[in-house]
Amino acid sequence: MKKIGIYPGCCFQGADIHNYDITTKFLENMGVEGILLERAACCGGGVIDETNKKIVYGLNARNIALAEKEGVDLYTPCNTCYMIIAKTKLALDSDPELKEKVNEILAEEGLEYKGTAKIYHTLNLIRDFVGLDEYKKRIKRQISGIKVAPYYGCHVLAPNEVAVDDPENPTILREVLEPLGVEIIEGYKDEDTCCGYHARFTEPEQKERLAIKPLDGAKEAGADIVATPCPLCHKAMDGYDEPILQVTQLINVACGATPEEAGINLNKTEVKLSL
Amino acid sequence: MKKIKYTARIKRYNPEEDKSYWQDFEVEVEDSLTVLELLMYIKDKIDPTLTFRAFCRSAICGSCAMIINNRAGLACKIQAKDKIKNGVIKIEPLKTLKPVRDLVVDQEPAFDKLKKIKPYLEPDPKVVPDNLKSESLVLPEEFARYDKQTDCILCMACYGQCNALKGDDQYLGPFQLTKVFRFIMDTRDGMDVEERIKLAEDHGIWECVQCQMCFAACPKGISSCDDILELRRIAKDTGEENIATRRAKFWFATVFETGQIDKLNLPAVALNNEKGEKARENLIKEFKQRGIPEDEFGPKPFDGIDKFRNFIKKIEKEL
Repeated sequence: MKKIGIYPGCCFQGADIHNYDITTKFLENMGVEGILLERAACCGGGVIDETNKKIVYGLNARNIALAEKEGVDLYTPCNTCYMIIAKTKLALDSDPELKEKVNEILAEEGLEYKGTAKIYHTLNLIRDFVGLDEYKKRIKRQISGIKVAPYYGCHVLAPNEVAVDDPENPTILREVLEPLGVEIIEGYKDEDTCCGYHARFTEPEQKERLAIKPLDGAKEAGADIVATPCPLCHKAMDGYDEPILQVTQLINVACGATPEEAGINLNKTEVKLSL
Repeated sequence: MKKIKYTARIKRYNPEEDKSYWQDFEVEVEDSLTVLELLMYIKDKIDPTLTFRAFCRSAICGSCAMIINNRAGLACKIQAKDKIKNGVIKIEPLKTLKPVRDLVVDQEPAFDKLKKIKPYLEPDPKVVPDNLKSESLVLPEEFARYDKQTDCILCMACYGQCNALKGDDQYLGPFQLTKVFRFIMDTRDGMDVEERIKLAEDHGIWECVQCQMCFAACPKGISSCDDILELRRIAKDTGEENIATRRAKFWFATVFETGQIDKLNLPAVALNNEKGEKARENLIKEFKQRGIPEDEFGPKPFDGIDKFRNFIKKIEKEL
């Protein structure tokens, strides 16, 4: 069985603890053994930069080194963790001096950043690690009669250097959702507008103003639900009129889980799936 | 020279009728054209009324920023053939500024915001000599702190794709905030840091959503979103006390303690009001309802946390 390192970010913490179960169940459904990187730490979340941005390099060099020590690649379902860790990898791989300095400090914990581990997010994990053909084979049942609006979120498409797909015309989310039997609604208003999650505790009203925009756009276009790969977008956008789910929740249901097992009952805005 | 056939789908705007519409132009042109050369070809050979702003053709004057295939960039810097998707290249005006005609947008609101942040040096008399014969000394390592930011050509590609502006049209904008950072970092500048930060705070740094689109759009590789994080850091370090600086301090403190953020207490600490306390109470209630054991309410330090803390201290000091 193929193995991958599960990076535990804040999307597995506190009230979002069920995201860990969703993630491990998803990997199981994909035939991948997940190894929890227990000593991994917060990626910085775009907040620790406000203390000292060098810490962000250190934290993520260490996170990747923990995966490398286990001999596995690193997987996170979170768009933001993915972007920040992938950006750190780019910085370390293109700056030998930075890499050397970080490694001197990492050595005291018995760790080394080599640059061998790849960074995966749910979308490129399905396409490149599992393979789309194998993915389709693992879908056991169809979720039919539902119109789904794909919502990427920002950090899997920007910056361009770490985008998991063509950032101008991405198709990967459609390719992941179609085999589930759902009807896809694309090209809706504000489909590329940010969910505002990262303004939650800097300017909460800004988050409120943004989160509703893609939801309203999807609703106007006739979508029953919005589907995002990102647990942070999900958190920011759940609780309004139009429901939102994580793609991995839908995949788990299509692989045989009950909606409750897929954590769908925990949504603030109720979702009805016909199976 | 190889010729290729494709469709240029251009979003046009007619101010006389206040009408926006898409128009397809079928072209057969050399494959070496930039997007700007493609527009010039269409204007010259097909439709002389097509309007766009351009000048230097060398990615330096900053006139021709537009949205090409859903992403902002300079028409003169982008090869048209790289942007053809299914036989079509899509070109539209920058999104957060009003069109004047076709691809020309009204830049004035963005320049007005730039003026608000005082985008000029206020010479520090301790550094800048009071005569014209001597120069003020800036060391290479001092200049390196804002060298990148001085590359801004005011093309507004970042502004044209900014998500914070979609939430608040009064938001200052990415390049304007980069300019604040650039002057704070300039050793010759005499304006108080607090004053510069204050200018950056009104519909500014706290409204940024860190989406990275400004960085993705910038033809010069400037990362305004990173500059905004630096401005927030400077605000915090100069004693600013608000929801965001409380969050930043608590976030780092709990990561240092346990490796992870304490999401149970974060809302209460950041909001620092009744609403925050209520959020904590509601979370505890929810955890109990879901049968989550009490010791899993917040993060616990992992094995070897002391080594981790030493690592963070060393990174801070030595990296």
